[in-house]
Amino acid sequence: MAKEFTIALAGNPNSGKTTVFNNLTGARQHVGNWPGVTVERKEGSYLYQGYNVKVVDLPGVYSLTAYSLDEVVARNFIVEEKPDVVVDILDSSNLERNLYLTVQLIELEANLVIALNMLDLAKSRGYQIDVNRLPELLGAPVVPLVATRKEGNGELLKEIVNVFEGKAARKKIKLYYGSELEEHITGLEALISGDEELSYQFPPRWLAIKLLEQDKEVLQKIGGNL
Amino acid sequence: MVNQCMPLAMVSPGEVATVVGVRAGWGLTRRLADMGLVPGTTLRVTNSQMPGPIVIELRGSKLVLGHGIAQKIMVEV
Amino acid sequence: MSREEILRAKDRGITHLRRIFGDDAETVIATERYGFISGLLKETLKKPAIERLTVSDKIDKVVINRWLGIPIFLALMYGVFQFTFVLSAPLMDGIDAGFGWLAEQASGIGGWFGSFLADGVIGGVGSVLIFVPPIFLLFIALAILEDSGYLARAAFVMDRVMHKIGLHGRSFIPMLLGFGCNIPVIMATRTIENPKDRLTTILINPLMSCGARLPIYILLAAAFFSAYQGLVVFSMYAIGIILAIIMALVFRRWLLPGPSGHFIMELPPYRLPTIIGVLVHMWERGRLFLFRAGTIILGVVVLIWFLSSMPWGVEYGSAQSWLGHLGSFFAPVFSPCGFGQWQASVSLIFGFLAKEVVVGTFGTLFGVGEEALGATIMTQLGWTPLVAYAFMVFCLLYVPCVATVAVIRRETNSWKWTGFAVGYTIALAWIVATLIYQLGSLLGLG
Repeated sequence: MAKEFTIALAGNPNSGKTTVFNNLTGARQHVGNWPGVTVERKEGSYLYQGYNVKVVDLPGVYSLTAYSLDEVVARNFIVEEKPDVVVDILDSSNLERNLYLTVQLIELEANLVIALNMLDLAKSRGYQIDVNRLPELLGAPVVPLVATRKEGNGELLKEIVNVFEGKAARKKIKLYYGSELEEHITGLEALISGDEELSYQFPPRWLAIKLLEQDKEVLQKIGGNL
Repeated sequence: MVNQCMPLAMVSPGEVATVVGVRAGWGLTRRLADMGLVPGTTLRVTNSQMPGPIVIELRGSKLVLGHGIAQKIMVEV
Repeated sequence: MSREEILRAKDRGITHLRRIFGDDAETVIATERYGFISGLLKETLKKPAIERLTVSDKIDKVVINRWLGIPIFLALMYGVFQFTFVLSAPLMDGIDAGFGWLAEQASGIGGWFGSFLADGVIGGVGSVLIFVPPIFLLFIALAILEDSGYLARAAFVMDRVMHKIGLHGRSFIPMLLGFGCNIPVIMATRTIENPKDRLTTILINPLMSCGARLPIYILLAAAFFSAYQGLVVFSMYAIGIILAIIMALVFRRWLLPGPSGHFIMELPPYRLPTIIGVLVHMWERGRLFLFRAGTIILGVVVLIWFLSSMPWGVEYGSAQSWLGHLGSFFAPVFSPCGFGQWQASVSLIFGFLAKEVVVGTFGTLFGVGEEALGATIMTQLGWTPLVAYAFMVFCLLYVPCVATVAVIRRETNSWKWTGFAVGYTIALAWIVATLIYQLGSLLGLG
């Protein structure tokens, strides 16, 4: 009986996420619905090094705010079902926009593997990316990828297992928001840590930031009214 | 030289502008921020269908903005 | 208790920060994030000094040009239809011949079993499967449009028009993809945040003629309009779009008034669609069609064959069969539209289950393949081109298939709106078909 774990695929729309999903799962995929909502849920699986890996394809989103149903679904899956690994797929020719989601995934304290997809496009634009420096700055392994040519697939599979087994080089990155904001974030963080249920459900610092952002869904969960 | 402050809708294609502020409700401001548009962001208008939607280039990629939204974003040219 | 404390601390923080920054905390937070990203990229990303105007930019100069945008879009759409038609014609002939031969072998078995096979199964399902080439080619074309990134441009170009009808460009992509199948498109409207926009888009989506209705157009257009068949089929889609626009206007002005949502959309660079990617997309949509052919359509044509053969001993497919009685009961409703024959009436009734069944019903009733089927309809039902056109329009507009209705119910979460969707489409279909037939007759068009 193979050991099992679950990974989630996150990323912007147009980042090649579907191609990666297809590469990983091949024919072993199945489309259903997220419980309670009518958004499509794509799931698949693959076998690797004795593991049966379940892959959940999250909706393509630009951010993890509560603006649209897609984003709420993606966020809730990571927060509530706590997948073992989250693979963030980035369009390398568009790093500035794509990293906005990455930053939020880091704050969500997800176990990340960062896939730099569409490197061919970035190269054709004359971009040069220091792939070796990125893991240190982002605190997670970074895998260069050209999903349409299946380049980098092997390394991706390896890093996913590395992260799951705790063997990957990872660092907890904290974004510094400036002294004024940090003052309030830390204060809220302390209060949240005092609430056992909340701090078990959500990373306290992430929750503190979301509160200051007046995130509608978070406020609803804590039982507040806007 | 005094920088003119105007709605994004009035910027001509080819011009570069810097965002000063967004005059909109929570949802829209948030959405624009998610797409990269916050005060201080530099952008360039590439196509315009005024009085229809416009296309801007910011942070390395292109974004389509409806006319109504373009009127709510204040920029400096 | 402690939760309220947290919320109060949050409120204090927000007020305090608003005073310091003159802006909401969330804007500052977003800005800081981009600051972090910029810093990170400064260390890790090198961009060329002058970024050349990319190919995408150059193409866009023309494609989303103020004046050229819409004409280019229409030309592309027309091109898609021509592509679908021209390439599929020889393939369809081949499949038709194949089924014709099969039917001959089957009826050679004789008796009711022979009839069951030849008229029921082969006649019914075969008459639908003949349309696999055009449907799959259409899906290929749609996949190419989507994967290449052109659809986003179409949405941009059509936004001005959409705005006038109270929607915006983002509703346009789902509408165009509705030409394949309405179901995934209605589900895709979840990306439309404004609920009224979303409901309107869902309501007018069935007017965007889905792939299952294509067999009806091709069959009748080939039989009744041979030289102009391409134009006739194109006109069906055009009428669908025009009516969708009108109904959207009507809905937004009287039924669901209110401000429209925000139009923000990323314009991805053009990409050369990969063959595999296109085929995967085509298969995702196409296999649903095949699946339905094997299940719903097969089931329904067998039912129809049965109803045409009963009561025992009755002449197959005659007005005295149960099917004939059923059809004759409803037929008068369709007289003003020009097709008040019982055969037309049953095909439309069963067409509610799946639109392909409209052709399937004719196929089962008259027990022939596609080529002769069109001619058979002309002679047996005495239709003129005008009647055929009115019938096509009726099929274009009337009620979405059962599966689509189920999805509408799920997505809107309301029986009221689902019932409305069913009701208004039937009414619209009847009114427009009647208008076409009556006005056409008055004008002496046949």
